Amino acid sequence: MVLSDQEAQFFVNTIKNTSGYDFSEYSEKSLKRRLQKILIDNNTDLLGLINKLKTNKSFLEKTVRDITVNTTELFRDPQIWQTLRYRILPEFSENRNINIWHAGCSTGQEVYSMMILLNELGLLDKAKIFASDLNTDALEAAKKGNYKYRFNIGYLDNFDKVIKENPYNYEEYNDVPYSKYFKIDKVSDSIQINDFLRQKPIFRQHDLVHGGNLYFAKFDLILCRNVIIYFKYSLQNKVFKLFHDHLYTKGLLVLGMHETMLGEITSQFDKKGQAYQKK
Amino acid sequence: MYKAVVIGGSAGSFQVITKILNSLPINFPLPVLLSLHRLKHVRSGFVEALSIKSSIPIVEPYDKENIKPGKGYLAPANYHMYIELNKRIALSTEEPVNHSRPSIDLTFETAAQAYRDKLIGIILSGANRDGANGLKKLKQAGGLAIVQDPNECQVKTMTEASLNLTSVDHIFTTEQIIKFLLNLK
Repeated sequence: MVLSDQEAQFFVNTIKNTSGYDFSEYSEKSLKRRLQKILIDNNTDLLGLINKLKTNKSFLEKTVRDITVNTTELFRDPQIWQTLRYRILPEFSENRNINIWHAGCSTGQEVYSMMILLNELGLLDKAKIFASDLNTDALEAAKKGNYKYRFNIGYLDNFDKVIKENPYNYEEYNDVPYSKYFKIDKVSDSIQINDFLRQKPIFRQHDLVHGGNLYFAKFDLILCRNVIIYFKYSLQNKVFKLFHDHLYTKGLLVLGMHETMLGEITSQFDKKGQAYQKK
Repeated sequence: MYKAVVIGGSAGSFQVITKILNSLPINFPLPVLLSLHRLKHVRSGFVEALSIKSSIPIVEPYDKENIKPGKGYLAPANYHMYIELNKRIALSTEEPVNHSRPSIDLTFETAAQAYRDKLIGIILSGANRDGANGLKKLKQAGGLAIVQDPNECQVKTMTEASLNLTSVDHIFTTEQIIKFLLNLK
C-alpha cells in the first residue's frame, strides 16, 4: 500500500482543520511513512482514520504523537559532545548564567547528556536548562529519565568516550562512575537518571511550527538535533529564524551531525565546526 | 538514459563495493546512492575507507543535499537515507526497519519513486533480507534490477532473497557489474 500525495495532503489538512497542529511543512517521505505505519497499527484505511480524527480528540492527540519521530540516545554522536565539552562549553565558564534550550528534546537523553557535561565542567549550577517537544508522551518520559538498559547498552560506550576519555589528550582518563549520574539495574532492565539531574530542567510542550518562545528567555546555546530533518526547507528556515531571534549575540546553535543550514539565513551565523554562532 | 545508480550491500559487500567504486571513471555520469549496513561500532571512518579506493568523491550527505552526477552518497551511520522526488537527500532517524538503519529497502523504494525507469538498482552480498523488497519496488517502477551472482557472494542471503522476490534483469559477477557501469553513457 503506497499513499498518494493527495492522500497524505488530505490527512495533513484534516489535522490542521481540527486541531492546532500543522504538518504541511513536514518532509513528505518520512511523514508518509509514519502515516502508513499509523494506518497499519490501527488496522484502518485513510477514510476510517480521518473520520476517527474528526470525532475523537484524544485519538487525534495520540496520532499527532505517533507522527513525530522520537529516537534519541545518551551522548548520540560522541564527537559532537566531545566538541561541546572541550571547545564550546568552556567558553561560557565566565558567564554568570548559561541558558540552554533543547528544542525537540524527545525523551530527554540529550538533556541529561548536557547536564552531565556541565556538571563535569563545574557549570551546572549556573545553567538554566529548558527542554521542549511537541510530543507530550516523550516529555513525560523525559521527566522520568528512565530508559531500557539492554536496548541502550551503547549509552555506556558513548559515556566512556565523552566523560572518561579525552580525545585531545589520550593520556587523560577520568574514572567517573556511572552511578554519579544514573543507576543501572540489569534485573529490571533499567537505566534511571539520578534525581538531582531530573529535577533541574524546565520541560514544556512546544510546537516549533508555531514559533514563539515559551520561555521568554534568550539563550547562550540551543540544541536542536535530528528534528529539522523532518521539516521541509521552508519550515527549516522559519525555525532557524526563530532560533536566531532567541540567541544572544555569539550564542550557539547545535544541529544534528548531518543537518545543515542552507540559504540566506546562513549569513546571520558563523559556522564553528559543528556549531552555528550568531553574528 | 539512466539518471542514478542505487547500491545496497551488507556483510561481505565491502570489497565488492570498493572494487566497483575504484573502477568507475572520474567523470562517471550518474550519482551513486549507497545504502550499506555496517557493524554497530563502525560509526565513523567508513566513508574515508570507501573514499580512499574510490575514483569519484564519496560523501555522507547532509539532509536536503542536492544529488549531483559523478558523486557517491553513502547513507550515514544510524540514519535512513531517502530520496525525495525533487532529487534531494532526506535523512531520518526513524526506528530501524528489519533491524537495519540505514534500511536498504527504504533507500531503494524512495529512489524508485524519484527516478522511476531511470534507475539502476544493484543488490550485493549480505546476511539478511534487507533490500529484497526495495529491489522489487524498483523493478515495479520500471527500473533495472541487478543482483550480484550469489555464487560469488561471501554471504548469499540478501541476493537470494532478492532473487526470490523479483525476476531481475541481470545476475552479474563483480566484473560484469563494473563492465556494465562503464558502458553507461
